Amino acid sequence: MRPRILRALGLALGLAALLLLPRFVSSYKLLTYTRLLLLAVMAQGWNFLGGYTGYASFGNVAYFGMGAYTTGLLMIGRWHVPFFPALLSGAILSAAFAALLGLPILRLKGHYFAIATLGVAEALRQVADTWDSVTAGSTGIDLPLKTEGEFFYYTALGLVVLGIGLTFALARSKVGFAWVAIREDQDAARMVGIATTRYKVLAYALSAAFAALAGGVTAYQNIHVAPGDFFRIDYTLESIIAVVIGGPGTVLGPLLGAGIYQLLSTYVWSHFLELHPTVLGTLIIFFVVFLPRGLVPLFRAARSLRQSGERFRWRSLFANVRAHRVT
Amino acid sequence: MAFAELSQVFVNALLLTGILALVAVGFSLVWGIMNIVNLAHGAFIVLGAYLTYALHEWMGVDPFLTIPLSMAALFLLGYGIQRLLINQIIRAPLLATFLLTFGLEILLVNLLNFFFKADLRSVTTPYSGSGFSIGPARVPYIRLAALLISLFLVLALGAFLRRTRTGRAIRATGMDIDAARLTGVKVAKIYAVTFAIGAAMAGAAGSLLSLSVPFDPTAGSSYTQRAFVVCVLGGLGNVVNVIIGATIFAFVEVFVGSRLPSLAQAITFALLVLLLIWRPQGIAGKSV
Repeated sequence: MRPRILRALGLALGLAALLLLPRFVSSYKLLTYTRLLLLAVMAQGWNFLGGYTGYASFGNVAYFGMGAYTTGLLMIGRWHVPFFPALLSGAILSAAFAALLGLPILRLKGHYFAIATLGVAEALRQVADTWDSVTAGSTGIDLPLKTEGEFFYYTALGLVVLGIGLTFALARSKVGFAWVAIREDQDAARMVGIATTRYKVLAYALSAAFAALAGGVTAYQNIHVAPGDFFRIDYTLESIIAVVIGGPGTVLGPLLGAGIYQLLSTYVWSHFLELHPTVLGTLIIFFVVFLPRGLVPLFRAARSLRQSGERFRWRSLFANVRAHRVT
Repeated sequence: MAFAELSQVFVNALLLTGILALVAVGFSLVWGIMNIVNLAHGAFIVLGAYLTYALHEWMGVDPFLTIPLSMAALFLLGYGIQRLLINQIIRAPLLATFLLTFGLEILLVNLLNFFFKADLRSVTTPYSGSGFSIGPARVPYIRLAALLISLFLVLALGAFLRRTRTGRAIRATGMDIDAARLTGVKVAKIYAVTFAIGAAMAGAAGSLLSLSVPFDPTAGSSYTQRAFVVCVLGGLGNVVNVIIGATIFAFVEVFVGSRLPSLAQAITFALLVLLLIWRPQGIAGKSV
């Protein structure tokens, strides 16, 4: 009972700090934090599928872009839809598209699915680039101007809280157990009667919806949506990195990973601009080799170590390698 | 479509087939034997292209003579990467090796960007523009040579895997790692050699491509995707499958590219998704 109260208290404190943050930082800094939260939203989306079911999507930017375009087009179109309904429509449309697409491609094995998603993202970029009458081609579309940084910050924060709540609830429900069962052994999961495709499609649609939400907010904040800016694979990459750092298949991992990644990335940008991707690549390799479960499980392990009074052993860092290497 | 255009499309597709097969054969080998989808494969190809570029531009070596050099360099690089990095976690779930090669790709592309800058490069020789005509279709010498060299290398790899001791050890490891180990195969070493051969083939493909296609450090990922599509079309497990896959893909790509260039990739991938739904094991392949 005790640790649970402590944890709830910690979460409440963290949330309060995030709520009060805009009062204490400059509007430029606030932009970085908004970006951090939006990255967390996208990472939370990736986590549903990549973290819980183990299916890596390399094309979530497709839905980021789709959400951005849908939000933008609805806002500037004939009906001048207000922002939030437009954002929601983008999320629903992306989820529906992902569900339709996922139905066939999620039957495929892991690599086939991964590359298919990569192709879908590229294909959508070409469509946005070519479909002049709707998307204005490579010029892109302009959204109504809105300059209040706090509005975007709080919107992003609201989405992150929604993501945490949803992940928490789903992870402890039948759905979450089905996802983990699929990740651990898909054939066995099917054998015990789990409708694997249906659960994978649900995860994929959720992940598309969250990517679309992040895309829609980013679109409104940037005022301008063009294929080159919104279908950049970097957005997919960053969300994967955030999840891998934080801990795939954990509730708070995506937010933690997004935080560490964004702060690190800002630091690297300002110090070694040209080698920025090298640092990212090295980070991915490091985490995959030494900490494939991310930081959240590491914290858990550290706590249980403290409680049992044992010393930390560096050897434990090589546990993953010892278990999976070939000699 | 007029006859002249059609015959040019046909010739272009034929010329593309060889180089595509070479692009895909290393990828297919690594995937088939070790179940690694190597996302850094395209980066290896671009690395080969830059090696040729550097040797040609700075030392005046003929581009065709750089092929063995870039194969040797990438063999060593591939051996090191597999031995030191991928072998360490190869038995982890698929996502791990996938992400690992993904990280490698980002790293290699960025380093190339750092040393060679992001400018579009190409290798031009005195004989670059020349060629001959078959009826209305034009055949550049360079691309014909690329076709022949590619086919030679792909078939040579096939013979190597079938006839030599090391080749048989590679195939045995791919079929059953435990049985291979019991018969005395040093699995870690064989894995490293397999990955090294895959990288060397990518290096050769890069050297050849540098002669006919302009490239920059990010050009690789489109080759990784093509190699993947070729493997899916043809199926894994045999160099003949790679050639079949490359032929189909080359004809689709050249034909779509001549009609709707701006949507070429979108259409190619739509076809791929349809194919995967229809036959997940590929057109020519047995079930995976």
